[in-house]
Amino acid sequence: MLRLGPATPATRRRQPAVAAGLAGLALTGALIASLALGSNLISPAAVIAALFDQAVDPGAVVWGSRVPRTILGLMAGFALGAAGAVMQGQTRNPLADPGIFGVSAGASLAVVLGIRLAGTTSMLATLWFALAGALVATAVVFAVAALGRDLSSPVPLAIAGTAVSTLLAAITSFIVLTDQATLAAYRIWVIGSLSGRTLNGVGVALVCAGLGLAFAAAGARSLNSLALGTELARGLGESLLKTRLVGLAAITLMTAAAVAVAGPIGFVGLTAPHIARSGAGSDHRWLVWVSGIAGATVLLTCDVAGRLMGGNGEVPVGVVLSVIGGVAFIMIVRRVRVAAL
Amino acid sequence: MTSPRPAARATKPLIALLTGAALLTGCASDGQPTTGQSQDSATVGWTYTDDSDQTVTLESRPTRIAAFTDYAIGLFSYGIEPVAVFGRQDVASDPRLADYDLSGATIVGNSYGEIDLEALAGAEPDLIVTGIYPVDRGGTISLEEPYYALADMEQQQQLAKIAPIVVIKVGGSGADVIESLNSLATALGADQAAINAAKANYDAAAADLTAAAEESDLELTMLYGSADGIWVVKPADEPTTELYTSLGLRFTDLNPDGDFYWDVYSWENAAQMMTGDVLLIFNEGYQAEDFKAQPTFASHPALVAGQTYTWADAAFDYNSQTAQFEYLAEILRQSAKVTS
Repeated sequence: MLRLGPATPATRRRQPAVAAGLAGLALTGALIASLALGSNLISPAAVIAALFDQAVDPGAVVWGSRVPRTILGLMAGFALGAAGAVMQGQTRNPLADPGIFGVSAGASLAVVLGIRLAGTTSMLATLWFALAGALVATAVVFAVAALGRDLSSPVPLAIAGTAVSTLLAAITSFIVLTDQATLAAYRIWVIGSLSGRTLNGVGVALVCAGLGLAFAAAGARSLNSLALGTELARGLGESLLKTRLVGLAAITLMTAAAVAVAGPIGFVGLTAPHIARSGAGSDHRWLVWVSGIAGATVLLTCDVAGRLMGGNGEVPVGVVLSVIGGVAFIMIVRRVRVAAL
Repeated sequence: MTSPRPAARATKPLIALLTGAALLTGCASDGQPTTGQSQDSATVGWTYTDDSDQTVTLESRPTRIAAFTDYAIGLFSYGIEPVAVFGRQDVASDPRLADYDLSGATIVGNSYGEIDLEALAGAEPDLIVTGIYPVDRGGTISLEEPYYALADMEQQQQLAKIAPIVVIKVGGSGADVIESLNSLATALGADQAAINAAKANYDAAAADLTAAAEESDLELTMLYGSADGIWVVKPADEPTTELYTSLGLRFTDLNPDGDFYWDVYSWENAAQMMTGDVLLIFNEGYQAEDFKAQPTFASHPALVAGQTYTWADAAFDYNSQTAQFEYLAEILRQSAKVTS
């Protein structure tokens, strides 16, 4: 069983509903902050007025920038957090990141190909390319892993994912290093940001994330069995192959949706499940949802922080997360006593 | 066309032997005495002190030149044909080189910092020409940093072993940058008549541009856009815009102090920089359609009026800048004032 920190009775008995409520409150705060604060210091009163009447929106700041990025941050953060919880439950590795199955590398390559071959840097085209690349890459990873015998263990998938990711990253590097303009556009995308996004075409990513979440919710009970170890899970009547497939679908669809709208943002999928677990315990029926809420809260909070740091400009949320996430990662590694694999 | 490292290392001693003189002079930074001697005796050959105050001395005037694209274009335009060219984009398809015959030149690099050392050594250059950019508004240059177009100091040292390097400083006054390239070209034996002829065209185009600027009285904004926001060039910090300003053009200059070279505006702050009548959009990054797709920028008067033009930086020689003057004059004459 995966255990974080000293195993005192207090950490074993959680009240998931209370944790979910608190997480919900935190998310509400982050949503309000995301609408109220930004690099353009308009007053809260002006923001509220603009929210109810688009005609008085100063420079389209509220409806043209803050509303879209808040919705996208909510979606991407929730998807990454929930995907992280499924990923860590599937692999029983508290340090697993949802990008490991080739999703980020596939999306990156597709985006780079889009820029290089089609010359497109528009948000809508980038979203489609990223989504397609992420799904194709995961299919390839799964096909490679399926060549082996045992899909009941997450190890072949993780190895195939790492191998395919490395190959895709090499191709991506080759392309961006031979073309300066592609490199410039890719560099901006790969950091991960919510800036300059509109809601055009986001429906498809939303559907993707929703499907993934449905898979995650459906597979939550199996993850609880899996936490007892594959032997016990099998003994409890779980079909391991089915559990793996449902998990893979959930992780891929949610991560792909997030990467498509915000770029390959790191650390949210890694840290959100830990935050959630510290409050809601390790019952995946709660954990998936609370991780999602925690992920959205973390992403939106870091995005707001980035907006307030750059003067007239902004610091992309991917950069903020790398700094804060790096610290969080070290804390997690230090806290985790048993990295049960 | 990449150079395998071990092979490059193996040829090093040979190259060092062949270009022994170059190696010695490449390290010399105090060239004053040598300069004096060279003036006394015709046999001592050729010395040149570049914009970083480093003096290169060679036994005779270098005839085989390797150059970064931006400077190769200038040299070509004055009749000097480099034997090796490296660029930050694909050299063979670079439109700025379309008018020149590249058949005698080996292309030794097609992206920033990627130089095939073996191919460069194979071209047996006597001299390598690249650039240096100041790090601040005061024009400070740092010799601790690699020259422009080079990946790192190690690569720079490898290049210096093949042939001495001279740099053109690209900063401050645009006229000075052109002057620097002209003096290098002259030192390399460029035909003075060709330079004079180019200058006559340049002066005529400059006068016409000044006239167009006076007639139109428009403000131009030179900008780069990406998902992260808008970067506006500060006209006094970029030598090309400094040059055009000196000819009477007016560029958006909301914050002359502060950060060097660019001012950054997030999309939320886009409204702050909507003072221009014409947008000169860099050919890399967001184009007019992408700018229109940003709700906080879509109402920009120049964007609404369709007064947007693609901008590509040109080389610093009379011919290249003459073409830019003509392009700018045309833009000014067909644009209207759209801001109050």
